[in-house]
Amino acid sequence: MNSLDLSIIAQAWPYLWSGLLFSLSLTAAAFLVGMFLGTLLALVQHFELRILSPLVRSYVALMRSIPLILVLFWFFFLVPVVLGRLSGNGRPIPVGATYTAFITFGLFEAAYYSEIIRVGLRAVNKGQFEACQALALSTFDTYRHIVLPQVFRIASPIILSQTIILFQDTSLVYVLSLTDLLGAASKLAQLNGRLVEMYLAVAVVYLIISSAASQFVASLRKKYAIAGAHR
Amino acid sequence: MQQERAVSPADRFPMVVVERLVKRFGSFNALSDINLNVAKGEKIVLCGPSGSGKSTLIRCINHIEKHDSGRIVVDGIELTDRIGDINSVRCEVGMVFQSFNLFPHLSVVENCMLAPMKVRGLAQPEARDRAMVLLRKVRIQDQAKKYPAQLSGGQQQRVAIARALCMQPKIMLFDEPTSALDPEMVKEVLDTMVELAQDGMTMVCVTHEMGFAREVADRVVFMDRGSIVEEGDPSTFFRAPNTERAKAFLNQIIH
Repeated sequence: MNSLDLSIIAQAWPYLWSGLLFSLSLTAAAFLVGMFLGTLLALVQHFELRILSPLVRSYVALMRSIPLILVLFWFFFLVPVVLGRLSGNGRPIPVGATYTAFITFGLFEAAYYSEIIRVGLRAVNKGQFEACQALALSTFDTYRHIVLPQVFRIASPIILSQTIILFQDTSLVYVLSLTDLLGAASKLAQLNGRLVEMYLAVAVVYLIISSAASQFVASLRKKYAIAGAHR
Repeated sequence: MQQERAVSPADRFPMVVVERLVKRFGSFNALSDINLNVAKGEKIVLCGPSGSGKSTLIRCINHIEKHDSGRIVVDGIELTDRIGDINSVRCEVGMVFQSFNLFPHLSVVENCMLAPMKVRGLAQPEARDRAMVLLRKVRIQDQAKKYPAQLSGGQQQRVAIARALCMQPKIMLFDEPTSALDPEMVKEVLDTMVELAQDGMTMVCVTHEMGFAREVADRVVFMDRGSIVEEGDPSTFFRAPNTERAKAFLNQIIH
């Protein structure tokens, strides 16, 4: 192997950049879908809704006990078969790798976010609920304006930590031959043979983005620790 | 048992009627056979040792605690499990808590605006105007944009009073409003409550502030072990309580 040639990274950068954009958009979409669904799942469990609550609990337990890569496989291979059965003609209906990735990540992350939010819901002070009752606020307004904003605030460091993990996990889409940041690097590496440079470059990008986000989480923790001390 | 009963208009214009009220927590009788009428404009101070049921009683009045038997009628509406809209009663009953319970993620003025907008249907400018009027009344208008954590305990409790008043309640309940405060902040909160009393608000206050009771209470109600042991006008009650239990209690809080 030749000595390290960093100029190759500059040449490869546009392609790596497009991979990075895919990773970031998958992260953002999974975050939004996951948070929305996760909040709903957490509320179902929090209110102990009949029938729904045990279903949600099983769903969350299932998602949390299988590796994400297996969920991706399942979704990619099994869902087309199921859709085909449902449509009646029996022939598999392909979902496509990109849709598979977005849907799977959203559903998978929802399970993780829901656990974080469920714990956060229990952390809200009982006095907050009583104040809402005394002010005649409806249950909807209580959760919409008082409880959930505080939950997101209390849980924001953990939510962001989970999102950093999510960002790194998006690299698993290479099993679906999608071109995320890591996928872009590995495809280039196969073409130009510069494995070390390519994997080094993406490692640095992951490092920069994840550690910057971690710094942000740390500053959030500090900020809320101070705000909490005054309470 | 001989009870000294102050002359009060309680039976003529009852704002709150409590009859044979019973509340249990498991096998523990928190309240047994409570009878209490509160007239419009009347100020009642509830006192008694801790665990005597005084907080539970006022929490039953706005149905934060659900009673087991007996009747509670607030402003003509009976509180029952069957009641369709408990919130129509809660609208008329303001409550101030020992631990303030301000909303930490909302500014002072937003704390005061939320319920009038969501429950009373006020538009934002009206809600803001009303909030500012009442924040001025409790002398905290300068802090309107701050968050609760930036205020002292006394300031937070005055905001909590303003927040309750923004709903324009007919009666105000105070659950040990000064117990969580540093001594130097007690007075500013009591002064606010005295002013409110002078405006003619109907008030039921759980407090051990006997100076306040002397100054504003029409009646002092002494509770022990879930029952009303004695009630009377404050000067008589403090000078010459009828029951041994009240005497023992007063000795303890004076020394």
